[in-house]
Amino acid sequence: MEAWRDFVKGNWNNTIDVRDFINLNYTPYDGDASFLSGPTQRTKTVYAHVEELLKEEHRKGVLDVDTEHVSSILAFPPGYVDKDRDIIVGLQTDAPLKRAVNPFAGLRMCKQACEAYGYALSDKVLEEFAYRTTHNDAVFHVYSKEMRTARHTGVITGLPDAYARGRIIGDYRRIALYGMDYLISQKQADKEALQKKPMTEENIRLIEELYKQIDFMNRLKTMASQYGYDISRPAQTAKEAVQWLYFGYLGAVKEQNGAANSIGRISTFLDIYFERDMREGTLTEVEAQEIIDDFIIKLRLVRHLRTPEYNEVFAGDPTWVTMSEAGIALDGRHMVTKNAYRVLNTLYNLGSSAEPNITILWSEQLPETYKKFCAKVSIDTDSIQYENDDVMRPLYDDDYAIACCVSAMKVGKQMQYFGARCNLAKVLLMALNGGRDEISGVQVGPKGKTFKEGELNYDEVIKAFKKYCAWMAKLYVNTLNVIHYMHDKYAYERLMMSLHDTDVERLMAFGISGFSVLADSLSAVKYAKVKAVKDERGLITDFVTEGDFPKYGNDDDRVDDIAKAIVEYFYEQLAKHKKYRGAVTTLSILTITSNVMYGKKTGSTPDGRKKGEPFAPGANPMHGRDNHGALASLNSVAKLRYSCCRDGISNTFSVTPEVLGKGEDERVTRLTHMLDGYFAQDAHHLNVNVLNRQKLIDAMNDPTLYPNLTIRVSGYAVNFNKLNREQQQEVINRTFHAKL
Amino acid sequence: MQAPVHSEESFATLDGTGIRYAVFFQGCPFKCAYCHNPDTQPFAGGTPAQADALVKKILRYKTYFKGGGGVTFSGGEPLLHPEFILECEQKLKTFGIGCALDTSGAVALNEAVRAAVDASEMVILDIKMPDEEGYERYIGGSIKNPLALLDYCISIKKRLWLRTVIVPGINDTFEKIDEYLKLLGKRVLCAEKYELLAFHTLGFSKYEKLGWDNPLKSVPALSNEKLALLQAHLDGAIAAMR
Repeated sequence: MEAWRDFVKGNWNNTIDVRDFINLNYTPYDGDASFLSGPTQRTKTVYAHVEELLKEEHRKGVLDVDTEHVSSILAFPPGYVDKDRDIIVGLQTDAPLKRAVNPFAGLRMCKQACEAYGYALSDKVLEEFAYRTTHNDAVFHVYSKEMRTARHTGVITGLPDAYARGRIIGDYRRIALYGMDYLISQKQADKEALQKKPMTEENIRLIEELYKQIDFMNRLKTMASQYGYDISRPAQTAKEAVQWLYFGYLGAVKEQNGAANSIGRISTFLDIYFERDMREGTLTEVEAQEIIDDFIIKLRLVRHLRTPEYNEVFAGDPTWVTMSEAGIALDGRHMVTKNAYRVLNTLYNLGSSAEPNITILWSEQLPETYKKFCAKVSIDTDSIQYENDDVMRPLYDDDYAIACCVSAMKVGKQMQYFGARCNLAKVLLMALNGGRDEISGVQVGPKGKTFKEGELNYDEVIKAFKKYCAWMAKLYVNTLNVIHYMHDKYAYERLMMSLHDTDVERLMAFGISGFSVLADSLSAVKYAKVKAVKDERGLITDFVTEGDFPKYGNDDDRVDDIAKAIVEYFYEQLAKHKKYRGAVTTLSILTITSNVMYGKKTGSTPDGRKKGEPFAPGANPMHGRDNHGALASLNSVAKLRYSCCRDGISNTFSVTPEVLGKGEDERVTRLTHMLDGYFAQDAHHLNVNVLNRQKLIDAMNDPTLYPNLTIRVSGYAVNFNKLNREQQQEVINRTFHAKL
Repeated sequence: MQAPVHSEESFATLDGTGIRYAVFFQGCPFKCAYCHNPDTQPFAGGTPAQADALVKKILRYKTYFKGGGGVTFSGGEPLLHPEFILECEQKLKTFGIGCALDTSGAVALNEAVRAAVDASEMVILDIKMPDEEGYERYIGGSIKNPLALLDYCISIKKRLWLRTVIVPGINDTFEKIDEYLKLLGKRVLCAEKYELLAFHTLGFSKYEKLGWDNPLKSVPALSNEKLALLQAHLDGAIAAMR
């Protein structure tokens, strides 16, 4: 069978150009959801089995760990959920939910993770890695004392220096469209071309990387053949296209345990194959949905072995199999296809779920029918998130996808050097204390003037804060340069990078935490009377705030302008410094769930927050301070400029069903208008939860009540029952927009 | 122009169509026994708002108003400030934003009130009690002004919603609903909908805060089931009149 039969030809026939293939061949769908099919008996049987396994996993923490084999593409024989019933095949190990060990990024974390669940890393693996430098070892060989102190005190945290960085999206679609042999031949040609160039350090490194890429491309072919498939050639049918693409993703998550291995923007691409099979009469709607359902089941089963400390930063065992869909093509057509509906339909067919992290690339120009279906899915499942295609498209064209929560990148053309986040609220306290950490008293930053006790002067505070921000930015850039140099050297993503252009553009993604606490603190100093109070060590550790002050989250320019200025200033400072491999500076305001942990590590702040209390997540206003209604809160966040925060501005929004209206139609329509209204102001991201606080309290007190309760937290969804008590409490304390 | 504003809500969704920006004025001539916002009743207090500044603030929400959204003036009693409202309505209209009046019709019709009503895109009128005696007993006012406003709205074919709060023990029977229908007669057919709202106890703490005696403190909230039954009865009767 001719793989490319009936496809419109174009540049994609001359070179690797998936975007061109999609644009020439996809069919926009303007209809509603009425064509969708429910789950087949097969799907129900398979998923019932999966749910049993999930329950057991939840009870035990992990279902099983293989401590003997280091995870890699060929480390395990084929695994199946149900060999006779699986439509899309392939598991990370030889059994569903059995986790593999992956010590490449750090042996210590790997050992701890095994121990946390009552396992021990085998002697075999320990021996294997005894004389091996891991990414983690190498980073610490080079870290300066200053970097270690900053890390230790928690002013920069979550750095990918002891675990894999993630946030790289292989263009898995290439495997389906071209087959591995063509992709390998292209990489070989790239390698030969580079070999003719002067052998500079940069060139040698890239040639070596290409060697590694080609090696792993061949291994992927072998892996697929063990499952009985020949992926050296392109996919010929819809089912093959899904299978080929999934093999690519599966190989990637066998090789790498990065924090967020997202799958990209695939539904429109795959729809082209579904449409063709349907035209040819070889595929029915029921079968199409069944393929997608089975594929999604596999994605729900992706697991990595993590430590409990990791869980504190990234709660709920997330894998961020982020899957982006919709958006508008550069030629003005919307990119919603029937497959975009089928993917959402899995949340009904299989029930709500945190993974894959379905991300709607929203635009005012999307068809109303689709917008309303998304809103309905949000109201029913709380499982999906929205990001503004109208602000991303000008920067990333129409074939970008979201990695992790809010990080956009052109698929196969850009990759990211993930940089976690720095705690700017703590930098403020450090600025007041002449560079000392307010908790431990350790000198972290350069020695400066310690502020006197008594009333703080805004101009002086801002001046000192900016000085320490500039210092922080420099240290942060240098730290990331070290991390990513070593990650490229010792834990290079061979397979994922083989599914990128060789001449890839690199983004270095910095992050801010403590954002709203900082904005409100500066506002308090400016508009109220804030007196600094010192402790016996001479450190400012408390504040007495008299009078009221404008708070971020109320659409009040007096404080929102401060918030905007902070981001812009910090971004400028970061952009000043040289990045490893010429990476482009990007910045996010996203905390995942680390806002709880960051808060723990931060002393009292001038906004009235006490030592140890959680921050608000991402760019969210501080809980309870946004008291002018939901839209005022959204408007404040919408003011932050995406152009200097192009790694994403995360906002999580909870509203009770009643406030959206009476009955489903009203609620769906209102939520759609709300999203349109928010994004029309060039806002970037919104997590939507439509639920009652009482439901969460009930679920916290009795986890059996809502075993599948999924909520959006900060750029991703979690099963509420997988959060620890502290994190649950913090989620419950967040602002719910309700009505008396 | 200036008027005392009790509070504002940027995401009001129940008082009108689409997404509403609601402005609650301070002060109300009525003293409903079941008022759930007693803090809006006193004429003293509130924050003086300038029409210009308010309009400017509301314009920040324009992007949310598509599909029938807009501004709702509520209270307190909004029609105590007809000139202020008119000024806002006229200014907002130039930006394509429409306004609804959520009123209990407590004030007498005069030229200014008529102008504010004329400039609004819809009126949500609260019919408190089915007779003068009920108004005297539970509302602390007369039924005359609300009915005059109702007739005026009908005469100019204003888009109209009617509402009644149902309080257990006071008006939560089919017979009482029939009394409302008898009072309104054919006029009920001029309203786009007639909505019954459930009495709830969420406003009780406000009475404590104000140090006021809450005359209904022992009355329970109306159940959703009861409300649905009464609404069905009302809808059925109205359908039979058409």
